[in-house]
Amino acid sequence: MSAPTTQDQPATQDRAMTDDQPVTRSRRARFVRKHLPTALLLVLAIIWLIPLWWMFSLSLTPNEILQRDTSNLLPPEVTFENFLSVFQVGLSGRWFLNSLIVASSTTLLTLTVSSMAGYAFARLRFPGKKILFPVVIAGLMVPQEVMFIPLFLIFETLGLHNTHPGLFLPRVGVPLGVFIMTTFFAAIPGEIEEAAQIDGASRWRIFRQIMLPMAMPAMTALAIFTFVLTWNDYLWPLVSATEREMFTITTGLASLQGNFAQATELGALMARGVLASLPLLLLFMIFQRQLIRGISLGSGGK
Amino acid sequence: MMVALKQARRTEQHTPATARSGPSSRRAGPERFSPRELGGLGFLLPFLAAYALFMLYPVFQAAVMSFFDWDFLDITRREWIGLSNYRRMFWGTEMTWTAGRMLPLRLIGLALLIPVVLAWRRGAVSRVAAISLGVGIVVLFGAVLGIHPGEGGRWYDSQFWLSFGNTLLFVVMSTPLIVGVGLALALAVNRPSRITGLLRAMFFAPYVLSVAVLTLIWAFMLNPSLGLVGVVGDWFGAQPINVLNSTTWAMPAIVVATMWWTVGFNLVLFLAGLQDIDRQQYEAASIDGAGPWQTFRHITIPGLRPTIRLVVVLQVIYSFQIFGQVFIMTRGGPDGATRVLIQHVFERGFRDFQLGYASAMSIFLFFVIIVVSVIQFLFLRGGEDEA
Repeated sequence: MSAPTTQDQPATQDRAMTDDQPVTRSRRARFVRKHLPTALLLVLAIIWLIPLWWMFSLSLTPNEILQRDTSNLLPPEVTFENFLSVFQVGLSGRWFLNSLIVASSTTLLTLTVSSMAGYAFARLRFPGKKILFPVVIAGLMVPQEVMFIPLFLIFETLGLHNTHPGLFLPRVGVPLGVFIMTTFFAAIPGEIEEAAQIDGASRWRIFRQIMLPMAMPAMTALAIFTFVLTWNDYLWPLVSATEREMFTITTGLASLQGNFAQATELGALMARGVLASLPLLLLFMIFQRQLIRGISLGSGGK
Repeated sequence: MMVALKQARRTEQHTPATARSGPSSRRAGPERFSPRELGGLGFLLPFLAAYALFMLYPVFQAAVMSFFDWDFLDITRREWIGLSNYRRMFWGTEMTWTAGRMLPLRLIGLALLIPVVLAWRRGAVSRVAAISLGVGIVVLFGAVLGIHPGEGGRWYDSQFWLSFGNTLLFVVMSTPLIVGVGLALALAVNRPSRITGLLRAMFFAPYVLSVAVLTLIWAFMLNPSLGLVGVVGDWFGAQPINVLNSTTWAMPAIVVATMWWTVGFNLVLFLAGLQDIDRQQYEAASIDGAGPWQTFRHITIPGLRPTIRLVVVLQVIYSFQIFGQVFIMTRGGPDGATRVLIQHVFERGFRDFQLGYASAMSIFLFFVIIVVSVIQFLFLRGGEDEA
């Protein structure tokens, strides 16, 4: 970090001592030296995004052109037909809706349940806390692949396969949110709560009216992170929702792949890919900071 | 996640202190709670219910089922069969032991004794840990890996070994690459420039895509007749090959696609770690006349060590769980070259309905992840003390 700034020092002295012409040259050299790495990085970052860009480009290209040539990074002709077909042909619209319902429900439930539990663990005194907290946090280490077979049987018994609750309920038990919220609430100073206590406010009111508003940054981060993870979940929907109508956009899109020899519907397929990524890319653009914060918080990095 | 656990423990030590200063506890004795305090449990109940039902119970149930013959469709076929599922995984017929089997791998494994001894001598790991690790290495690489079916014999489930081997291969290939590239990008992006945020966002963007979008993009990118990779190869005069159909190249291709997809996650963690390093250290170094390399070697790397440890452990855990990319792009082909353990679990469980056997394999994977994480922790912690 400090390397470029230290190099500036001698150059400034040079300028004071020499006449005009070398100054401009050294200034230009300095400009290049300072900005060349950034420029190169920017080029690399643009190359990095070409695969994504390509998907968007293909989704806007008419299928007749795609049958001849798929290597265009800009559509030679722009059409929205591929996107119209998404909602007219097949179940993609339905899958998209399923994903919206499932991801929003999971996010809402996770926020409610985790903020309450996090508050309890961080601020309240109750029996069994010393045992419960480690037991809950140990759950962070369990990969979902270990649980999905018994989970499948539970939801079979409950008769909840191929339903929305069947898709969103299991993730509510994941302790990541509790971990994030506990860490956050534990860092809030006690005086604020004490003042409210003296005013005779109930626990629930303190939580709702004082603690929750303060926790908004952590809650936003948790919400974005949960939404992204749920939207992208693959294994559980694959196992639980076996009827085509109940696929999420992720499992649905996966089910459409596999036969790449026929490129006749390539544009429409790419349009479905765009549809599957658009909500998340938008969320990411708006809430970039919160999502990244969520990652740092969730992995215990910060 | 282990870090999370460790940090949580720290938070927990915190909480009694805050609770004591807080209004709720009047120091009424260690085991007595006012009705109001008992009411606090109400805040916990919704989560605890979900946690017990969808997490705790399934984990225990998976462990129990691994000792059962548990056919999903035929309810009469649910009986306790002891260790038979594990036997089916690990054993075969006509088993023998050969000293020379998988010799290079086993010698490399035995060579792991050297870092263990070194770490112990440095005092980085405790004696008990070093000895148990050493014994573990000798038993595993010296003896256990020499066991195999002899003439006319076969593994009960050779597909299990194939899938597990491929999973290990993926872990070994992907971890250094995705961690290394993430670190390199973080170092490059982390500069005093307004553009840093933009660069970070651009490299991170693929992470928000779902696995089905990743496979959609990359299966076409790599398609020999339709994809951009073929076009670029054409510029250099390379013959287009069907990468995903090649037993040699399919796995590397999946590793590269996975790197493109997830490296942003590591980049974010590394950037956060870099920004945590005290700026004064850099200033002091530049006053002392340290060059960029010295600064990197003596300030950046030690300062980043906790982050490196975190990222490596998380990466290994994620890599062990590889499934979606492979399952959608290659279905484990060609010739099983990319078949991974979760796919095997999935197919045994949900195509063949052998839920008991599938549970045993998932428990095995869990066990491997835990052991590997614990070992990593023992070793990478040693480095931190030195810093």
